[in-house]
Amino acid sequence: MTMDAINQQATDRTPRVLFDPQAGRFEMSGESYPEDAASFFGPIMEQLSAFVAEDQGPALHVALEMAYFNSSSAKALMNMFQMLEDAAERGREITVDWYYQAGDDTMEEFGEDFSEDFECAEFRLNERDDASTSI
Amino acid sequence: MPSVFGGGMLANDYLRFRDDLAGKGIIFSFTGYVTESILTALGEALRHKMRLDDADPQVTRKVFSVFVEQVQNIIRYSADREEQGAAEPLALSSGMVTVGRDEGRFFVVCGNTVTPADARKLEARLSELARMDRDELRKYYKTKLREPPEEDSKGASIGLIEIARRASEPIEFDFLELDAQRVFFCLKAYI
Repeated sequence: MTMDAINQQATDRTPRVLFDPQAGRFEMSGESYPEDAASFFGPIMEQLSAFVAEDQGPALHVALEMAYFNSSSAKALMNMFQMLEDAAERGREITVDWYYQAGDDTMEEFGEDFSEDFECAEFRLNERDDASTSI
Repeated sequence: MPSVFGGGMLANDYLRFRDDLAGKGIIFSFTGYVTESILTALGEALRHKMRLDDADPQVTRKVFSVFVEQVQNIIRYSADREEQGAAEPLALSSGMVTVGRDEGRFFVVCGNTVTPADARKLEARLSELARMDRDELRKYYKTKLREPPEEDSKGASIGLIEIARRASEPIEFDFLELDAQRVFFCLKAYI
């Protein structure tokens, strides 16, 4: 099955999104507060769920470095994580790296809360200081 | 010698209006139709102003977050809404949003009209949130994220929890009946 890559630049209200199916890598960074989060995240979710649809397949590495997201984007992220955890439960190798800036308690708390839903997929919380480069 | 600029009705009226806002600590206040681009522009101005004032970045993030949720609630829920024709499926929602500073603390207030049915739902939700402490709000937010969205809620139930979480004290809210179809709803959060 061929899979389309995603390479979307950030906009005022949406994050940068990069999906490289060949490398098994998905990245998202920046801010997300579109009014209609469902229509922004819908196509991304479709691509990702198609990639992990089979029980067997290449590993997927997800790296997220969000500076801010609104409540409807939080809902979309939760849906994405549930889909990834389901795939990991079926046997796919999935790793999620959650990056947050040192001192950003809100993004750290979100990372902690999201981590509770992962059992089969590996979820790692990573603190960044200002000096380190972002994804 | 009298100044060339004595000031007529226009300047006097609007100066009083401006001073009244400044006296209440208001940084900016917007009243009228709100769209996503207005949200973005006002949000950027707000963050820029807070950076210039050397506000704590953590506080700036919280104020911004409360601001976004409140404005998006107006966009989704305002009963003062002009639906456009089918060719352009766009609704213009009217409301007001005010950001200010009171004894060093920031506040965000929004006001818009809602239907009596929405007012009853909002009052029940907000009263429930007002009784919760920080940990309970955090858990409740997470529970709501896991649930399928409620019918006709368009995501606002989580937005109100987000506002309550970022606020530094229980959020204030009030309702005033305008007529049989419309209730003026007001929400104030201190950060």
